[in-house]
Amino acid sequence: MDTLRFSVLKEDMAALDKLLFGSVALLVLWGIACIFSAGSGNAGRGGEYAVRQAGWSVVSVIAYVFVVGIGYRKFMDWAYPLYGLTLLLLLLTTLAAPKVKGVQSWFSLGFIRVQPSEFAKISLTLVLAKVLSRYPPFSLKPFLSALGAGVPILLLVLAQPDLGSALVYVVIIFSALFVAGTPFKYLGFILGLGTSLLPFGWFYLKDFQKMRILVFLDPMRDPLGAGYNAIQSRIAVGSGSVWGKGFLQGLQSKLRFLPEPHTDFIFSVYAEEFGFWGSFVLLFVFGIIFTRIVAAGMKTRDIQGKLLVAGVTAWIWFQMFESIGMSIGLMPITGLPLPFLSYGGSSLMSISIALGLVGSVYAGAAKRYK
Amino acid sequence: MLEIRDLLDARLKALLYGILGTLGILFMGLYFFQVIHADKYVRLAYGNRLRLIRFSPPRGEIYDRNGVPLAVNETTFSVMGYPLDLDKPDMLPHLSKLLSIHGIPMSVEDLEKTIKKQRGAPYRVIRLVPNLTMAQMAELVADPEFPNQLFPLPVWRRIYPAGALAANVTGYVGEISESELRDSRPGEYVGGDLVGKGGIERYYEERLRGVAGEEAIEVNAKGRKVRTIDLRASEKGQDIRLTLDMGAQKRATELLSEYKGALVLMDVKTGAVLVLASSPTYDNNPLAWGVSTKEWQEIMEDADKPMLDRSIAGVYPPASTFKALVALAALEEEVVTPSTAFLCSGSLKLSSRTFRCWRRSGHGSVNLLGALQNSCDVYFYQVGMKLGIDRLLKWAKKFGLGSPTGIDLPGESAGNAAGPEWKKARFKENWYQGDTVNYSIGQGFLLLTPLQIARLYAAIANGGYLVTPHVASTNFRPPADLAILPDKLAVVQKGLDYVVSRGTGSRAGRFGVTVAGKTGTAQNSHGLDHALFAGYAPADDPQYVAVAMVEAGEHGSSVASPIVGEILAHILSHPAESYDPQTLDEIQEIQEIEEVQEN
Repeated sequence: MDTLRFSVLKEDMAALDKLLFGSVALLVLWGIACIFSAGSGNAGRGGEYAVRQAGWSVVSVIAYVFVVGIGYRKFMDWAYPLYGLTLLLLLLTTLAAPKVKGVQSWFSLGFIRVQPSEFAKISLTLVLAKVLSRYPPFSLKPFLSALGAGVPILLLVLAQPDLGSALVYVVIIFSALFVAGTPFKYLGFILGLGTSLLPFGWFYLKDFQKMRILVFLDPMRDPLGAGYNAIQSRIAVGSGSVWGKGFLQGLQSKLRFLPEPHTDFIFSVYAEEFGFWGSFVLLFVFGIIFTRIVAAGMKTRDIQGKLLVAGVTAWIWFQMFESIGMSIGLMPITGLPLPFLSYGGSSLMSISIALGLVGSVYAGAAKRYK
Repeated sequence: MLEIRDLLDARLKALLYGILGTLGILFMGLYFFQVIHADKYVRLAYGNRLRLIRFSPPRGEIYDRNGVPLAVNETTFSVMGYPLDLDKPDMLPHLSKLLSIHGIPMSVEDLEKTIKKQRGAPYRVIRLVPNLTMAQMAELVADPEFPNQLFPLPVWRRIYPAGALAANVTGYVGEISESELRDSRPGEYVGGDLVGKGGIERYYEERLRGVAGEEAIEVNAKGRKVRTIDLRASEKGQDIRLTLDMGAQKRATELLSEYKGALVLMDVKTGAVLVLASSPTYDNNPLAWGVSTKEWQEIMEDADKPMLDRSIAGVYPPASTFKALVALAALEEEVVTPSTAFLCSGSLKLSSRTFRCWRRSGHGSVNLLGALQNSCDVYFYQVGMKLGIDRLLKWAKKFGLGSPTGIDLPGESAGNAAGPEWKKARFKENWYQGDTVNYSIGQGFLLLTPLQIARLYAAIANGGYLVTPHVASTNFRPPADLAILPDKLAVVQKGLDYVVSRGTGSRAGRFGVTVAGKTGTAQNSHGLDHALFAGYAPADDPQYVAVAMVEAGEHGSSVASPIVGEILAHILSHPAESYDPQTLDEIQEIQEIEEVQEN
């Protein structure tokens, strides 16, 4: 039995998408270098952060292999219980966890703190794939039931209130619906509804969140406070110019002009030190990653697999777009980590698990063709 | 089923193209910032043209009850600079040389220390040289050698017009220490801020402080301001009006000038403190300027302890002034009646020890009134033994002895009115009857502050209400009813009346007002006895209570009682404004608001 399992795993590993794995590994290593650089200023904790992130990478690779070994079909079977568990954890976090900057999103497990909202992205994707493959959203009823599946998690994360994660969930739900073949009139309906509800949503935002949005519209509104981040981040990126200032040479993060350079503003650190050519390479690698993830979905014949891939793609894409967009002022500041590069164990782990699921879809498709 | 897969594949492909399209948008955005406009951002980054300046707010001012200023603000100038500019080589040696040319001694090490203490972010301004006059500043700025990157900033400095007269009450401000900075809430203070270090300045720091203002400016390559980007004005702190009467306070300081000691004068009904004098005193003005370590050491090592507020932090045996409480307790517990008499032969033999009366020849047969009037020790030895230590301490506690009075000043002492359990724990010894005997004439382990004695006498004078002493007019608290029987209290009041009208405290009654009170001579193991007098006036309708304590004054009757008599006469002939009911309402309103805020 054990040897059989192992040989299956070995077979799966052999069938994995090497290009995808290589691209992700490159970004993670590059991320660790940037984390080191970001923290090597006056505060001097860069080494510590980099070592911890490296530790998380190792754990994440193990998680990745583990998920591939189990196979995405098993996860599909567990989709509902997993979803229920994440809802419970989110509820506990909202009720009990200490507030970090007025937002309750951390859940302490003694020595480490985890963010259930990160892992909820996985279970949300699984549940959507399961529901939408069983009840294709071609008519109103299945469309609404799929939409309904996503509502509780959205409400819970908004109650924290973690606006960034809520946006990621919205994007995942929308993309899954889109790929599942939802007619455009329904999609247009939720887009319209969302837009018309936006002004009401304003009242539910915390003051600092309102400030971030106002500042996005006009960074000079509050140059001493929230707007300061936006201005300084843009200065960091812009001053990197074509060739960058060189690794460890970025001044903006070293002199503490940039807030939280190792997490939210990691791209600013990267762009300042590696310049436009570095930004180009980074976007190019992200392009490869998206293409290869979607390729897994194209390759498999399993509808569940295709929908799973859609959710994961949308998730990674939105966080990347928001994080890079915010550092140059194209998007408001929300505090979402840049996938693969930002410091943070929960984020890296959950994305690795998701990529494990994608890898398993890809390997499964390859096997079937043999 | 095949059609569904095709549809899904088409949608997946569309998703991918959409995503690749957004990558294109990011690419163009980055091209715009990193290639087309790179020059602009490179310039902004290298100069880092954004600077933040913080304006400390003017502190709230402090006045006495009649509006006499006790703490006010005056404008001075500071030389300011940014860490970004100061880190440049040669900057500090150059500046130090320039300062010394203009008569301001500051070494490079001094400057480095100042910078280290205040360093935050590189764009946050640092105070390099504080406390310059307008003339000094003008001279410096006019010097062509004065570095462009530095600039003058007007700041408020604290002045105490009353100086040493009320230094123990107003306290003083000083630069915030590193530990205070660590303990403060983020954003509340920055290095170099002034905070209250003693007295009212410290107790009401939060009220007096105000809100700091901030300005963000853009500077040119030379570090000169180009324009203001954002400005938030500072808000002045709240003014505080004290219950202190500076006329009486000044008189009290004069009366104490030849002695070491304390003088307290309080409204018997409200607990408003009109005089809180401690001698010797100190001038708080140089402390607010910032004294050198050597000067500070001299003040702290002065054997006379000028920084010790003897009125609230000095503890002394209450001696015979305590007898009023023993008498009241004995009457209330029905241990004695006014006519109970004991024979005083000049001493009391208790197993192996002999306890003497201050009058060696004895007072003969005395009753309660006579014992108070002539301060007969033997009478109170007997009463104390009959009462027992537990009941005696119960009454001491009732009048707040042994715990702080709650006055709105930092550093108040609780004194000591502890009994057998405390002695067992402290000295590992049993409580002897001799200890009770000592307590009954206010000696032994008993230690009280002059303010605690004043509070006790205020309660005797006002019909049995325990007041909360306060110096800020808003800190009035309603007195607590101790439920003392009026006829018992009347006996004690009569006894205290006799003390001045025909007994040991007669010198207190020579200033034109009727005083009732009690003398005390506290044994001092370190030298001459301390002299005490606690009294109130007018005797028939008490308004004010006063307590004088003179260290090494030898006799309460000759030294302390005239001081109390004179200060009571002064305040009654220069009546202070009393609270009108409207103000009382306002005060209660403020208290309610504060309580809500605390919750």
